[in-house]
Amino acid sequence: MTGVLAAGTNTDSVAVETVFWILAVVAVAAALAMILVRRAVHCAIMLAVVMLCLATMYAMQGAPFLAFVQIIVYTGAVLMLFLFVIMLIGITAADSIVETIKGQRLAAGLAAIGLLVLLALGIGHAAIGPAAPPSPKYGSGNLTGIATLIFTTYVFPFEVTGALLITAALGAMVLAHRERIAPRPTQRDLAARRLASGQVVGDPPPGIYALHDSADRPALLPDGSPAASSVSSVLNPRTGTEPPQVVRPGEKPQLEAADGGEREPAPSAGSGRAES
Amino acid sequence: MRLYLPIFILALLGFGFASFSVFMGTRLGPKRWNRAKLESYESGIEPTPHPPGGGRIPVKYYVTAMLFIVFDIEIIFLYPWAVTFNKLGAFGLVEMVTFVITVLVAYAYVWRRGGLEWD
Amino acid sequence: MTDQGMLQHLLAAPGTEPTLASFNTEIWWMVLLKAGMVFAFLLLTTIFMIWFERRVIGRMQNRPGPNRAGPFGLLQPVADALKLPLKEDIIPRSADKLIFVIAPVISATMAFIGFSVIPWGPEVSIFHHQTPLQLADLPVAVLVILAMSSIGVYGLVLAGWASGSPYSLLGALRSAAQVISYEIAMGLAFVAVFLYAGSLSTSAIVAAQNNGWFFWELPVSFVIYLFTMVGETNRLPFDLPEGEGELVAGYHTEYSSMKFAMFYLAEYINMTTVAALATTLFLGGWRAPWPISLWSGANTGWWPLLWFLIKVFILLFGYVWLRGTLPRVRYDQLMALGWKVLIPVSIVWILFIAVIRAWKLNFNSTAIYAVAGLVFVLLIIMVMAWDEAAQQRAARNAPTEASPQPAVAGPGQPAAPAFPVPPLDLPHYHGTGVEPGNSATPAREVTGA
Repeated sequence: MTGVLAAGTNTDSVAVETVFWILAVVAVAAALAMILVRRAVHCAIMLAVVMLCLATMYAMQGAPFLAFVQIIVYTGAVLMLFLFVIMLIGITAADSIVETIKGQRLAAGLAAIGLLVLLALGIGHAAIGPAAPPSPKYGSGNLTGIATLIFTTYVFPFEVTGALLITAALGAMVLAHRERIAPRPTQRDLAARRLASGQVVGDPPPGIYALHDSADRPALLPDGSPAASSVSSVLNPRTGTEPPQVVRPGEKPQLEAADGGEREPAPSAGSGRAES
Repeated sequence: MRLYLPIFILALLGFGFASFSVFMGTRLGPKRWNRAKLESYESGIEPTPHPPGGGRIPVKYYVTAMLFIVFDIEIIFLYPWAVTFNKLGAFGLVEMVTFVITVLVAYAYVWRRGGLEWD
Repeated sequence: MTDQGMLQHLLAAPGTEPTLASFNTEIWWMVLLKAGMVFAFLLLTTIFMIWFERRVIGRMQNRPGPNRAGPFGLLQPVADALKLPLKEDIIPRSADKLIFVIAPVISATMAFIGFSVIPWGPEVSIFHHQTPLQLADLPVAVLVILAMSSIGVYGLVLAGWASGSPYSLLGALRSAAQVISYEIAMGLAFVAVFLYAGSLSTSAIVAAQNNGWFFWELPVSFVIYLFTMVGETNRLPFDLPEGEGELVAGYHTEYSSMKFAMFYLAEYINMTTVAALATTLFLGGWRAPWPISLWSGANTGWWPLLWFLIKVFILLFGYVWLRGTLPRVRYDQLMALGWKVLIPVSIVWILFIAVIRAWKLNFNSTAIYAVAGLVFVLLIIMVMAWDEAAQQRAARNAPTEASPQPAVAGPGQPAAPAFPVPPLDLPHYHGTGVEPGNSATPAREVTGA
């Protein structure tokens, strides 16, 4: 901040402050909303807004690298992980208010107090003590400055980050990887399996020569009997009572029906999709 | 501050155009209410009823997202290193190789365990 | 940026090369003018590309393509653009209304922002003001594009989720997983360029290619980038999220009218942006190609804009060509290419390039030889891993005793054929079993009319 204020003109500093106050309001509102909204995906989006506000503030303070890293790593990667996890555990589930962990409130309270103390110390230190001005000794842009610091003074933490990344990958594998016991069937295996099953070609598509061309109408076999296997097995339990058969007994195969007359108009597939 | 101004202006233009278009789409188009039209499209069959608690997705995506974070962070470290490569000299090269190999250990582990396989 | 930073950049750059300093002294109307130009350029390119793609694909498939609206069908995209807002705007019952509306706006907005850091030319004079032909530049300009693409993924995921339809959700997750996978390889492909250019600022990268395009020095990075730019934009042969045979239209299945148009627009703008980025990073940006570059005036004034556009449109033609040529890959093949080929190759390539560079710069340290040895070992390990994978695949594909032979033995057929054929004495082969004149009316040809 100091660097930019010193370097910039008066209008610049006014602009930076204006942006700060706007963003502060937006960020706090988004943070509150994140806690208060009920759907988990909305929470994640609100968190993304907070992250973006933070990134913009970094940029305003003359730290473009940090700002875009914030967007790429936090908004792009970490929050995408959050979104995946939310969808993993049920996309429309509202928050459960049943506490499953014992002493959850106590632990949360302690953590909150700890965070408050930490924040008070940090902010107090910055506000009361003399803030360190951006040192010019680390080069011109802050990209080279950061690089010089990471790769000279803070080599050890940097290398340890590598170990942390190993832990992350390992944890993900342990938690979420399902070990494959049997080798994965190749296309050749699948073809052999299909030949062995006796049914070489797929099921007949539904609606062929039936009274309707809807997907829940069975195809008719050459002798006029409906082929039950032509209707997706999902449809029977879903529609419940209705059997797949529509042909009255004693009737001939409905070859004539295919070319006209009583066919229902097919539902339009989409609306306004541009064909490219 | 001034460096970001053009980006901000372009963002405003893009946002304005997109929201205006979406708004006009709701105004200009016809409105013909139809119960079936508002169902989600599943190639003509009755839409799948929502399972309680919403649908679930394969846990596989979690591993992908986690690996993405791992490599994203590696890339973020590679950029400043690449820019200051000349200044850092041989020391910089050695430490980056160490770091990259550390990350490659995780990568090799995930590969061997079959975490990169998709069915 | 501090003043010292600006000054250093200013001192470092020669002649008419724009520097970061040029962007800090812009007049406000110039900024507005250039933003308007970028905006208009992106919209016009999208409109042009829609026509161009359909015409070229048509040619490749031996058909004329759109040729009704206007000369050569040029007005076809205009007709499409007018048609879309007049379509009904449907929000499915199961949708999360707010996010359903926001998602396409996010997609389109992020697509626009990405192009802002692309340089189209050197400094030119607009209304007697010297200004670089580039909307914005930052010390970390390339990161802007990466950041915008990573926020753009939200557009896809949220669209799929908010639609409340299984196809949309699956399509969205697939595209998100694909885009983030290819983003890694893309980010790694950049590293070698930054290593050579010593900067992340796009104008500085173009300036660094004064003595030769990075395409010649970093061919592997360029090829990897070409792969990833197709994967990033979800285009054929990597357009799995929109595999219409299995997922209808993927994440935008439920979208219609202008909301759908926004996704369409975002896709084409993203294509343009990644093509322009390829031009900037590897193909010398706005610099004239070789025979023309002998002419001293080739890289001054407004000419570079032409070279830039030619390069971008050649790359865009490549997109269309791919779409006209290649079938869609399988999802596991797509992810395997991203994770098992592009990423390890880029990492080893980066280390290789770094060692070469260190050797060129005479770092005078035995450590370099150690690192070179390590990189070599890595290379060998990688090749061995591939070899092993290939052998495993071969072992799996080899015909085995266990693979079941189909046994279909009809009556009178002594040996079961390898491929089952229907019994050859079925009634309709010999006319038995079907009595002529059984039906009241003579058989009518079914025309489907």
